[in-house]
Amino acid sequence: MKLKSLLTIATLSFASATYAQEATPLQLSGSVDTYFKYDFAKTPNIKTYFASEQNSVSIGMIDLALKKSTGKASFVGELSFGPRGQYESIGNGPDGNSFHIQNLYVNYAFTDKFSLTAGYMGTFVGYEVISPVANFNYSTSYLFGAGPFQNAGIKGSYVFSDKVSLMVGLFNDWNVYQDFNGVSHVGGQLTVNPIEGWTAYLNVLSGYSAGAGGTGTIFDLTTAYQVTEKFKLGLNAADYSVTNDNGGYTGAALYPQYAFTPAVSLGLRGEYFNIKGAGGASDAAITSVTLSGNIKAGGLTFIPEVRFDNDEEQYYQFVKSNGSLTKSAAQFSLAAVYAF
Amino acid sequence: MISLAGVGQDQSLSYDERGKFIHYEVVEQSGVSKVNLSARANRFFKQKAKLLKMTSKVADTIMQAEGKFIINKTALVLNRPSGEVKYNFYIECRDDKYRFWLTDFVFIPYQRDRYGNFVASTTVGTPLENEPGKLNAAEWKGYINNTGKEAEILTAQFKESMADKQEIKPATKSRETISTKKW
Repeated sequence: MKLKSLLTIATLSFASATYAQEATPLQLSGSVDTYFKYDFAKTPNIKTYFASEQNSVSIGMIDLALKKSTGKASFVGELSFGPRGQYESIGNGPDGNSFHIQNLYVNYAFTDKFSLTAGYMGTFVGYEVISPVANFNYSTSYLFGAGPFQNAGIKGSYVFSDKVSLMVGLFNDWNVYQDFNGVSHVGGQLTVNPIEGWTAYLNVLSGYSAGAGGTGTIFDLTTAYQVTEKFKLGLNAADYSVTNDNGGYTGAALYPQYAFTPAVSLGLRGEYFNIKGAGGASDAAITSVTLSGNIKAGGLTFIPEVRFDNDEEQYYQFVKSNGSLTKSAAQFSLAAVYAF
Repeated sequence: MISLAGVGQDQSLSYDERGKFIHYEVVEQSGVSKVNLSARANRFFKQKAKLLKMTSKVADTIMQAEGKFIINKTALVLNRPSGEVKYNFYIECRDDKYRFWLTDFVFIPYQRDRYGNFVASTTVGTPLENEPGKLNAAEWKGYINNTGKEAEILTAQFKESMADKQEIKPATKSRETISTKKW
């Protein structure tokens, strides 16, 4: 009887504590993706991510994310399994681990305006991301491939108003769980919402990575404007330079998208990407046009896509089906992405 | 204002004469003046300031606020937001009675962002009356039903507030102190 009373008191105390902390239920979400890609030269010419395997029904990844908030504190833990989330984005660790952490961070909102976040997070730089759910096109841009994927670090965010907020943080080298030359990067993001439907992110990230020949600095503009109910326009422009003539890149991509219905959309990505020559080498530029459809049925999205790339300097050494070099490449892909 | 029950729908929303979904009620409040009812409505909006934003007075007697419901997918102890439904909340007060209606429902789907948080994927919503097509009909029906349920919950709270049923706050017991001066 005594034990029963104690248990009742303990249960009530726990329930009261939970209520006082305003805990939200545990959120579970994620995605799975699979694709077929066919390069018309019968060899995988286009080296951007993630539709990389030729003439094969291939898999992307299964992505599982957990989120929980208790009062002002929250965490996000997101793991992915499969080529897209593992060796195609970040190499497996020395222990040959067979998964990849997409997000692993804790957050504390000191006030409605100020919060601190620490851990390993999706990068704040760029338009496209690793997760296939948040990208319109299935294959990715050159800008995405060249920029950071994730940044571990600690960052503070302050919301000045509905229209302006600022994030400043200290970060590890790009895409690593551990920084071997100390917390070496500083970054910031200014978010501006000039009018309803238009958001612009001005990003900067600078630091000296372990083993690098100089300090790398990236300036990035990522913006999207919902022009009408059906038409959305996105833009990504970036410049990355490493001091001591160690190269970098410059590029811009435009993303017009038109929704015929809530379930059927068509989007184009036009990209110019210039690789800065290191050590006195000349630059190399590439242009790319990708046309993708998004057909949604519940949680499932089909993404049929055609892509044409032009590499004038033959930097990527595209080849024809007979093996001879060519300046252009084209591919078709059909992807299926399920988000839950 | 005319409202018609939606045929074949199991949610509480009806259609108005514009063909828009509406939650419409007229409430008798005998012995309460128009001024008092307006004050109570204002108090409700202040209490729900995080959910309802007063936008304007459409006319001398009509108040308007914008609000949103978060639509969640729930399975056992787990859940995640699918999107939000924005709406307009109108109230008109007269002596001894008031009427209110929620309408102009638009759905904005959520999408997981790069940090694993669910955020609005667009700023322009789709009117809830729009036909979603066969592929998304089941999900869309779920959004309509959830909106109807959320509207029921919100309007029940609103009517309770308008009836001036104040919550009785538990009295805080003053802390007992020991005087060290008298001994």
